[in-house]
Amino acid sequence: MNNPDFSLYLITALLPLSAFLLVIQVNPFHALVIRGILGAIATLVYAILGAGDVALTEALMGTLLAITLYVIAVRSSLVMKLGVLETDFQKETQASISTEEKEKKDLFLLIISNFKKIIRKYYLRLELLSYKDINNLEKALQEKEVHGICFPINNNIKNNENLDNKNLYETIFRIERLYEIISQENSNVETNLSYVNIKQNKEEN
Amino acid sequence: MNIILVIMILTLLIPIYQGWKDEDIWQKMLAVASISSKTAILILFISVLRDDWMIAIVGVIILTVGNAGFMLLAQVIKRVTTEN
Amino acid sequence: MSYFLIIFGLILWLWGTSYLLSKRSPLYKLHSLSVSDTLGSIAIVMGLLWKIPREWPLLVLAIISLAIWNTMLGYVLAYCSSSNKSNTVDE
Repeated sequence: MNNPDFSLYLITALLPLSAFLLVIQVNPFHALVIRGILGAIATLVYAILGAGDVALTEALMGTLLAITLYVIAVRSSLVMKLGVLETDFQKETQASISTEEKEKKDLFLLIISNFKKIIRKYYLRLELLSYKDINNLEKALQEKEVHGICFPINNNIKNNENLDNKNLYETIFRIERLYEIISQENSNVETNLSYVNIKQNKEEN
Repeated sequence: MNIILVIMILTLLIPIYQGWKDEDIWQKMLAVASISSKTAILILFISVLRDDWMIAIVGVIILTVGNAGFMLLAQVIKRVTTEN
Repeated sequence: MSYFLIIFGLILWLWGTSYLLSKRSPLYKLHSLSVSDTLGSIAIVMGLLWKIPREWPLLVLAIISLAIWNTMLGYVLAYCSSSNKSNTVDE
């Protein structure tokens, strides 16, 4: 230990380095894992500078508790809740299913996977909530249980407006930002999109 | 002894670089687990060099609780990523 | 003797951590990393124990907790990452 300062400086230099790595992370989960690195190095620095109590607090509160709580918080907040009908939600296909029904189911699955693909770029998760019929679905949207609803368009409406077969499903969002994100990639969504402002109860688009 | 300390710090730099570079979250978790045990051993090493009981106790507690905490974190992250 | 143990542990650390840089699967890295981290750390702590036997209770505690917790952490990480892998394959 002829020159104890040198290694001390070296260890202390690790702290801003890991803090910089933490700041440049984009994905929230990756940032939380890097926060683990930062916490470990901060503990090391505090301990070798002689502050054992601070180091212990950093390890227990700052690293352990904060990261676990933040993972749970990020997981439950970065989610897009989409209400769907129960008939669409059932994944297993019966043997006595008509070809039209099967096409419809395939379309629904395609829509859902497209949604997942789009919102994954924004690190969001898709959570599907199933409701019994269309009235319950709209009630859930009104009461802000879900961020958006996705349901098949009625047959008679389809005949009246002479829609092509592609747009069998209608999707309504009550969050403007989500509507913007999805409608930016409108070409590969394969559903009708609309945005409704719940507060004034006025439908746009 | 100082040279050994410097080599230990250089070894610590490898998982930091890896955790920064790699995109997969499990590779990052591996790097973090490695770093946490390495820092705990470093704390123990320095405490023995300085003959300081207080820091040694801190090092042992961090070694035990830190590993347990990362097990918890791994379980939570697994829940999150498998649902996607 | 204590220097020999510490340097042996350091070599194990360097060897195991260098596998992190390769582009292998997490399981392979985990294997080498857990071996090197656990054994290398135990070697270093044994070297310290040899050097200063006065602090034996803490160092023995450190060795025990290293042996138990690092193995368990390795197992949990392997379980999590492998189950994640199989799920993505299924999809």
